[in-house]
Amino acid sequence: MTQRERRTIHISEDEDFSDSHSYGQRVVTPVRYSTDPRDIGWVKENIPCQVACPALTNIPAYIRMITEQRFGRSYELNRMANVLPGTLGRICSRPCESKCRHGWPGNGEPVAICHLKRLAADYKSSGHRINESLFAPTGKRIAVIGAGPAGVAAAHDLSTLGHSVTLYEREERPGGMLGYGIPEFRLPRDVLDVELQNAMRLGVQLKTGVEVGVGKGKLRLSELRRQYDAVLLATGSMEATPLPLRGLKNDAPDPARKLGDVEYGLDFLVDLHRGVPKKVGKRVFVVGAGFTALDCARVARRLGAEQVTIHLRTTEEYIPVEKDEIFEAKREGIVIRGLRTPVALLTDAKGKIRGVQFAQNRLGGWRENGRRAAIPIDGSEFEEECDTLLVAIGQRTVNDYLDVKLELDRWGSVAIGEGGMTSRDGIFAAGDYVHGPTTVIEAIGHGRRIAIGMDTWLMGRERRKLVVKIEPVEKPLRERSFDFIPRQHMPTEETASRFGNLTSEVEKGFALDGAYEEAKRCYLCYHKYTIDVDNCIFCRACIEVAPRDCIKLVDGVEIKDDGSYGELHQVMRWDQVGAIWIDNNQCIRCGACYMVCPTKCISITRNEMFYQDV
Amino acid sequence: MAKPEHYVIIGNGVAGGEAAYHLRQRDQASRITMVTVGRLLSINRYELPKLFTEPNLDWRDFLLNPPEYYADQEISVRRNTWVTNVEPTKRQLVLRHRETLSYDKLLIASGGGRHIPEILTQYRDLMMKFGTYEEARSVCNALPKGGHMVMLGGDMIGLDLARALVKGGFRVTVIGKDFLFWPHQLDPDEKESFAQVLRDMGVGVITDYGAASIAADDRGPAVRRIVLASGETLDADVLLSFCGLMPSLAFLAGAGVDLERGVLVDPHLQSTDKNIWAAGDVCQIWSPEEKQYRFYYGWGNVKRMGQIAAFNMTGGDESISTFQDERLVVTGSGEIDSPYWHYGGDSGG
Repeated sequence: MTQRERRTIHISEDEDFSDSHSYGQRVVTPVRYSTDPRDIGWVKENIPCQVACPALTNIPAYIRMITEQRFGRSYELNRMANVLPGTLGRICSRPCESKCRHGWPGNGEPVAICHLKRLAADYKSSGHRINESLFAPTGKRIAVIGAGPAGVAAAHDLSTLGHSVTLYEREERPGGMLGYGIPEFRLPRDVLDVELQNAMRLGVQLKTGVEVGVGKGKLRLSELRRQYDAVLLATGSMEATPLPLRGLKNDAPDPARKLGDVEYGLDFLVDLHRGVPKKVGKRVFVVGAGFTALDCARVARRLGAEQVTIHLRTTEEYIPVEKDEIFEAKREGIVIRGLRTPVALLTDAKGKIRGVQFAQNRLGGWRENGRRAAIPIDGSEFEEECDTLLVAIGQRTVNDYLDVKLELDRWGSVAIGEGGMTSRDGIFAAGDYVHGPTTVIEAIGHGRRIAIGMDTWLMGRERRKLVVKIEPVEKPLRERSFDFIPRQHMPTEETASRFGNLTSEVEKGFALDGAYEEAKRCYLCYHKYTIDVDNCIFCRACIEVAPRDCIKLVDGVEIKDDGSYGELHQVMRWDQVGAIWIDNNQCIRCGACYMVCPTKCISITRNEMFYQDV
Repeated sequence: MAKPEHYVIIGNGVAGGEAAYHLRQRDQASRITMVTVGRLLSINRYELPKLFTEPNLDWRDFLLNPPEYYADQEISVRRNTWVTNVEPTKRQLVLRHRETLSYDKLLIASGGGRHIPEILTQYRDLMMKFGTYEEARSVCNALPKGGHMVMLGGDMIGLDLARALVKGGFRVTVIGKDFLFWPHQLDPDEKESFAQVLRDMGVGVITDYGAASIAADDRGPAVRRIVLASGETLDADVLLSFCGLMPSLAFLAGAGVDLERGVLVDPHLQSTDKNIWAAGDVCQIWSPEEKQYRFYYGWGNVKRMGQIAAFNMTGGDESISTFQDERLVVTGSGEIDSPYWHYGGDSGG
């Protein structure tokens, strides 16, 4: 357990202040770095956006830098956790925003965290220099297979840890789903390419056009394991899930691959980005509910389709796609129809698709992944006509390229231990290859965690740890009026200008004025407000000015097993009060209590959690 | 003595008003609370076009029931009250000012607001609204004598207004490339044939092009210039959107009640929560004949739904008839008629 140093300011050096009797003076603690589980526990409980981010991005910190017009610093703070900030600032699935305290009931809308991330990347100075902190070379050689988000993130981290990294990629360019699965009108390639290059500049040797597998001309995994001290498998989930039509036996040829003008959405997008010219008809159906389905639909519109319909098994409420993106798809004329399952493909005399037979669904129970089951209703079949069908109902991992037997879990994915090692010594796995198709930020976060696990295994000790930096804050950095600023909306390209090309970016980015306003909305939840109970005179002035029920009268606080504070035992009777306590979970960091306290017994600390080299 | 049931109705339109009446008839001892964002008691919005032909009418003339009715029936009406969440496990509503309101049985009759196609949402602030008495009165005040109203879409609510305006000596143009005659579903030939009937009735109808952009104009606060996709321009004294209805159910997001575009209910109008029913424009009803969920619009349907919901909330077992005649027809006098325009009889018995 770390010892807290307590000392006051404005008191002469030879005064004994060990029992902190400093009425009317702020009690200030110096900056310290803590690995105490109570401090880490406080962050996990009180900074919901950071905890929701799979990469543990220090969100309040980078947003604060925007209000200070320090875009480069904001970019670097992002990059400490997520090595592709400008990229994710455009296409991230934003799990942080659904947890943002500003979006809690009664508080309004969440902060536009992702758009602000993009802003920092776009507005950093052209002379901005990337900061990296490097360990000395270790002499260890690592092969990373797959240059998607997980592979690139892991390769970057392993190279900063001093290892010699070779990154193998079967496509001609790195990026994985970023480069081959996401259209340019959502993610411009110049943005992606610069950030990928920066991630690999520290000596990662990239070898593209090289496939790992068991056939002729392919590199074998067993051979790589012999050549390298460790191997990381980060090959993603790049096979499309087959369409389960009614009556189809397991070994029957997939009609979705046989018919003309029917294609799996993933293959459609990958081919498109490989430079293969793609065509669609006038009436396009897309079956599926994820990002790939939306992307296919929007690409189809740009390739000349006049009517594009997305067919869902459940309803729009359960689509795991940003509402903004659904809105933009609708603005582009795409129609979404729910509660239907495709059961058969209808063909014309030439064997080309002419329509789809659907069954009407009803909504079933909740599935493990938080989505709803869809149950086809007997006898409810109906037909609709189309001339092109794109199927994007999911992706899966494949293991047929391995010539080394690895233990699989019950879902058929490779099983890994806590540090990311598979059942074979020195072979690790990360990203979608382990978890199945997730999101880019989850892949990046996992790739970085596994890189730490690999390094620990190679070096025999932990060299990068999660710490909380705690430093005093002189005064509140926000005003109450900031809480009433409405959420700024992302300006977008006029719909008429979007079609006819695939590269014109739809989201234009915040203008600076709007961005500053949006950044002010962040509550800066990393600020911890604490009442020094020894100096509190129970005047209740803080409670009187609190805009919410965030300052409470308590007679005790639960202490959890790890020593952190738990539930507050609130009381209503004045004669039972043991302390006045700020509930940081309800606190919106307006600073009103701090300003009004007559004894200055409220202190503020900034608590930033990140991985630090040790 | 058993605690009286508390029925809460979200929305005070025709469906909600009808439900409140029948709930009181069937359960004299109960508490009934209607919650509405509106500032007025229940009005018959289907009659609002009369403002253009009888300008001396005021809000009292549109009330479905006089104020004394609510006192007599012991129905509490919470006006200007917004529901932000429904918590079915606790059987309570959360209101915008953070009050919670408990219920035993809940009826969602929040109706629908105007739907603006996503491609035109950037112009929403340039379009006037017509859903409430206050909005209708604003449109009436903004439209000069003999003035020109342009409507985007041309759904049956808009066309009802259009026929009243034409009779009142106003000019109406409908830009009806999409949503013309909504919710009727017509094939292109039928649509053009009925569009011609509208033109013969005196309504200007454009079916070839949609609106590409809309701009304000210096000549007046409500005046608008619409540019069509063909490049042609139209000047309007007032501009409204009648592109169908969008169910008002943002407050139900995350409540666990099944939704698609509306609240999914069975033919008894019960949702997937056993204490929540829905009636009116907000619900998608399972049709065993068609084996799909669908909406049913129009004054008659909506009133009937309010009645059935109330019946079933008080222990009844009645289903809505889901076979509806929804044909658009041309009358003997050469005008269009639709079952969605059949209003009549008082609400609430």
